[in-house]
Amino acid sequence: MSLPGRALRLLTLLAAGSLLVRRHAPAHAPGELPANEVAAIPLQPRFGWRFTASLGAAALGVLLLGYAVVGLLLQGTGLWGTNIPFVWGFDLINYIWWIGIANAASLFAVILVLRRHGLRTAVNRFAEAAALAAIAAAALYPILHLGRPWLFYWVLPYPATFQVWPQFRSTLVWDLWGIMAHVLVTGLFWYIGLIPDLATMRDRAVLRGRLRSARLYGLFALGWRGSVIHWARHEAAYRLVAALVLPMLVSAQTIVALEFASAVVPGWHQARLPLHVVATGVPSGLGVVLALAALLRRTLGLQQLIDDADMHLLGRLMAAASLACLVLYADEAFTAWMEETPTQRGMAARILGLYAPLWWGGLLLTALVPQALWLRSCRTGLAAPMLIGLGAAAGVWLDRFALVAGGLLHDHLPSTGPAYGPSLPEWTLLLGTAGLFAFALLLFARFVPVVSMYETRHEESEAEAP
Amino acid sequence: MPVTPHLPRFADLDSAPGRRPVLRAAGAAMALAAAGCDVPPEEWGHPLHARPRGVAEEHASYATVLELEGIGRGVIVRTRAGHPIKIEGNPDHPGSLGATDPFLEAAVLSLHDPARSRRPRQVGRPAREPASAALAALRGEGLRLLTGPVTSPTMARLIAAVLQAYPDARWHQWSALAADNAQAGARIAFGEPLTVLAEPAGARCVLALGGGLLDPGPDQIRLAQGWAEARRRGRASGSLPVLIAAECSPGLTGARADRRLALPPAGIEALARGVAAELGLPVQGVHPEAGAVAAALRRAGSGALVVAGREQPPAVHALAFAITQALGGPQRLLPPVMAQPEPCLTALHTLVEEMAAGAVQRLLILDANPVYDAPADLDFAALLGRVPVSVHLGLHVDETALACILHLPMAHPLESWGDSRAADGTVALRQPASVKRVAEALSAEDVLAELAGLPERGQALLRATWPTLDDAAWQAALEAGVLPGSAPPPRELALRDTLELGPAAEGAPLVASFAADPHLWDGRFASEAWLQELPRPLTKQAWGNATLVAPADAARLGLEDGDVARLTVAGRSLEAPVLVLPGQAEGVVTLPLGGGRRAAGDIPSAVGFDANRLRAATAPWAAPLEIAPAGRKAALVRAAWRHPADARDPPPARSITPAEAFPPLPPQPSLYPDWSYLGRAWGMVVDLDACIGCNACSIACQAENNTPVVGPEEVARGREMHWLRVDFHVEAGGTGAFQPVPCMHCEKAPCEVVCPVNATVHDHEGLNLMVYPRCIGTRTCSNNCPYKVRRFNWSAYTRQPGAVPVRNPDVPLRPRGVIEKCTYCQHRIAAARATADREGRELRDGEVRTACQNACPTRAIAFGDLHDPASAVARARREGRNYALLGELGTRPRTTYLARLRPSEEGA
Repeated sequence: MSLPGRALRLLTLLAAGSLLVRRHAPAHAPGELPANEVAAIPLQPRFGWRFTASLGAAALGVLLLGYAVVGLLLQGTGLWGTNIPFVWGFDLINYIWWIGIANAASLFAVILVLRRHGLRTAVNRFAEAAALAAIAAAALYPILHLGRPWLFYWVLPYPATFQVWPQFRSTLVWDLWGIMAHVLVTGLFWYIGLIPDLATMRDRAVLRGRLRSARLYGLFALGWRGSVIHWARHEAAYRLVAALVLPMLVSAQTIVALEFASAVVPGWHQARLPLHVVATGVPSGLGVVLALAALLRRTLGLQQLIDDADMHLLGRLMAAASLACLVLYADEAFTAWMEETPTQRGMAARILGLYAPLWWGGLLLTALVPQALWLRSCRTGLAAPMLIGLGAAAGVWLDRFALVAGGLLHDHLPSTGPAYGPSLPEWTLLLGTAGLFAFALLLFARFVPVVSMYETRHEESEAEAP
Repeated sequence: MPVTPHLPRFADLDSAPGRRPVLRAAGAAMALAAAGCDVPPEEWGHPLHARPRGVAEEHASYATVLELEGIGRGVIVRTRAGHPIKIEGNPDHPGSLGATDPFLEAAVLSLHDPARSRRPRQVGRPAREPASAALAALRGEGLRLLTGPVTSPTMARLIAAVLQAYPDARWHQWSALAADNAQAGARIAFGEPLTVLAEPAGARCVLALGGGLLDPGPDQIRLAQGWAEARRRGRASGSLPVLIAAECSPGLTGARADRRLALPPAGIEALARGVAAELGLPVQGVHPEAGAVAAALRRAGSGALVVAGREQPPAVHALAFAITQALGGPQRLLPPVMAQPEPCLTALHTLVEEMAAGAVQRLLILDANPVYDAPADLDFAALLGRVPVSVHLGLHVDETALACILHLPMAHPLESWGDSRAADGTVALRQPASVKRVAEALSAEDVLAELAGLPERGQALLRATWPTLDDAAWQAALEAGVLPGSAPPPRELALRDTLELGPAAEGAPLVASFAADPHLWDGRFASEAWLQELPRPLTKQAWGNATLVAPADAARLGLEDGDVARLTVAGRSLEAPVLVLPGQAEGVVTLPLGGGRRAAGDIPSAVGFDANRLRAATAPWAAPLEIAPAGRKAALVRAAWRHPADARDPPPARSITPAEAFPPLPPQPSLYPDWSYLGRAWGMVVDLDACIGCNACSIACQAENNTPVVGPEEVARGREMHWLRVDFHVEAGGTGAFQPVPCMHCEKAPCEVVCPVNATVHDHEGLNLMVYPRCIGTRTCSNNCPYKVRRFNWSAYTRQPGAVPVRNPDVPLRPRGVIEKCTYCQHRIAAARATADREGRELRDGEVRTACQNACPTRAIAFGDLHDPASAVARARREGRNYALLGELGTRPRTTYLARLRPSEEGA
């Protein structure tokens, strides 16, 4: 099948997917919701017009993504604002950014699981889901950014007829493994955590007589019966995968950063870059989690489950992460000052050159504005956490832009050519991946429990125990 | 009775077709297919290296000659299956000396141009009658011929025959950039028409008045090679020749000058008069710089040479010849090379007056475009409309073709027979080196023969000019590309006692200076996409031209790069974009000719502005000008190949004094093991002291390697595809260093280790090669290339509409989404290796010549085996001024540079 054909089929599938959820109607009464009733949310036949509208908008975004991808496959990367020497633009900027979001979100979830933190019941399901959706959005970019995307599998080491192997010294090959492992482990982490709840969903669906839903939930619940052995194994597997996620999150971000740090470009060639990318990625992911938590507890009426204490904890964590960012920005300036001349000039070009507003914007939104979260009042409302959280995500995006494009402003040989500026198809693609992210999250909220039911039960039973 | 191939239908065959019927069917099909092939041309040229003679061989090379302003430059045309694919210089020809320039390289492109005129046209429509009918209309009274400058003995003979056949016929020559003023200058200095040939190889001090040494033009290759030779001798003897340049607008000569004076046109003439007066010639004049310049010339003695640019008035040319002659400098006096040495402007003026008087009944225009390039005040187009019968012969349906009643397609110089004289008068024969791509095309010679009623055509016509050559000598001349001994002997003439220079030129606060475009010349090359896209040597502007304004004037007038200005000269005005150029003389606005063609093939007509509309026959080179901002902006398309010389430390293009040598780089650690080379190790050394920035290498590379043309929008986005860019590092004062940057073929190539799919790899002889089918287009290699020589196919450039129609079959086309770059002409290495293997010997030094190396007029590029200590490239590497660009990064490049030698103290 030809490429446009394939893309078209993909588009049809996506459109069909969006039609599947066209069941709406009056909102259920918000307000007090018993903990065990979390499961009732996905099983409600109707979900409210707001949800439907959001889902429709997200589905439109997914359609836009399909449009951007088909256009890209037909026309090539010439559609973008890239050139020589600015060979990378939105493709890499958005890739790193989405990965940053995914990583910080999973990192957050994992830490909660491993430390058996109380907050985990409230937010880690979301964090995991957000991570998974972000990684799906991110994983598109390394493929789409290729000159010949349909040949992406040549990066895999498979026994080709000509016995050509990938160049294992290339950071891009490492990156492939990084992103593949990331998708796999994040997916597993999210899924394993979901299994007991899927079983609960199955049982409730049976009780309500919705057999088709029950079968579907049952398929994914892998025959969970809730025996003690099941619980023991589940606990072990869950913690094992969580432990697996932890080093990989650092490594995945590090590898992406190495693509830049190992290049000869003076503005990129710095050993501190992996640390910078990993650590500045945290506020973007936490920011998205914070914004989502604020949004969900208001719109789905989950105030009881994601209570104010949780929000305080999350807000303080976010503020601490952005404080770490501030330290890193200071370190960036200091290290550049200590470096040799080309690096100094490369850094100066990033901070003061054409893309300077982006760099300063990044500093402002990721390191300075979230400091407001130290204030109690900023953590509990809807607007403040949302604005600060999404602002941090945007700030990290600006920082990535300043890195990818601004790093090339000063090279070893002088050049005064046209700089990089994103074109309309690049914006379309970004909007499309954002649509994909939102679409995946909305479907998640619709079809699986947004808060871990078994952990909530566990907490409740612990609380009731004498 | 003609035999029509009969294709048996399968129904005719036996129910189970046997072997024979199938073969018969296949045979008939093949015969049909063959019948559809190109009809072989009536007459073939004589290839150099193919047997048997006289047929189109798969591989063949032809020695022939191409003209610019009538001056012949010998070339060798490489063909494949009858199609020319590449032009190389002819080492035996004194006009090319084995090298080329951008104009020559583009000849294969103009031959294959799909927009070429294909059939006769009558008042704008395809003509019903054949060409002979058009020519029949010319027979009669009041016939006028208008040609470009003619040096060709055959053309001269045929024109004479026409003039004899039609007693009241007249012949006029016209070219917008003809060497009128040099002819007039020679007449002033020596009293009779002469060709004065500067020979810079013997110069110790050159004064270039308004260019004339290294600038583009028909004699650039010879002059530049002479100048490089003088520098080579100077390096060997430890005393470098001095180049002093006075020019209005930064040019190639001034860029390489040891001392550059930015002067307005009147200032250049004043300097010439002042220097002549200082040196005791019978001329009045003073100029503040004259004393120092005259002293430098006097010190050089018989090594003193003064040259003048094409745009300079006759007085400056006369003074240049006179000063050189007085000091006994290296110049040769030859009988005029032109068949009829008359100033073109006068000739055109006479024609226009006759047209206005109604004396012209019939006008035959042979390969000239006066409707576009005649001075505006002559109003040629309107007068042409009054001529009852006007016939135009040309390659394109150009402005003149559209204004004439009849148009005939012209055979390309690579398709026809003829001859031409080099700048020194040597005759070279032109022979077809291509299948005829336009069936109805006629050569100018054949048209004239038809008109004169001569029976011969083509080769016979040419041979009739040279009746003394027997068959063997004829063959030999065709193979060598030159007629031996055809150069006229030099003449011994004394300077005239008084030089009638006329009144000194008067300056104006703001002067328009009309100049040739470095790539479009007078506009005749406007349809060549290669030349349009090649960034101009100094401005690095591509796809269009701009008015060049000095920074001080721009600040005064409130103009910036890309501002559109309204230019007014003698009441005529037009709007043109402004390019602010440091080094431009204050008070001078340079208007390049050749832009704004209204009918130039497929090239968008809006490329550039047409400065001819401001040009007057009374003041064709310089005129007072008014300029005012028009209040809008225009996009200037410029490649990022121009930098301040001190942008980096150490500077990329280094200079050194003769006594110094660069210290070897300290050992550079590497994580990866060294490569071992059992055989050859290819390397390249580029001599920056010889490079004049003419761009021949860049376009030769493009022609050789099927490098796509991407168009103005893509160049503006920074996506030009030239594998070899020529960086210009500008110094204060308008001088600077040119630096050709091909792939460095690094020993420790940073690009190789970052490609995830192993698409860029090291070969066994050290070439860093791209495996195009393996490339998936991550572009990481370009990120990691400190030289930024890698190019990416952002779109399907090779297959887009309007893609270059000529392709070298030795080099694969690159699809969309693939990186490409310089290969050191790897296909040439492979071919030479195969030849050597077949002959059971080792490759010889110099056997492999890259396209850029072959094109270079100053022989600045050495290429060969670094393992062979006797090879030219290994010797060049041992020189003290050899250095690696960004060598401190540890890339260990195979391409290295020889630093420029700093001007000696004399020049200052």
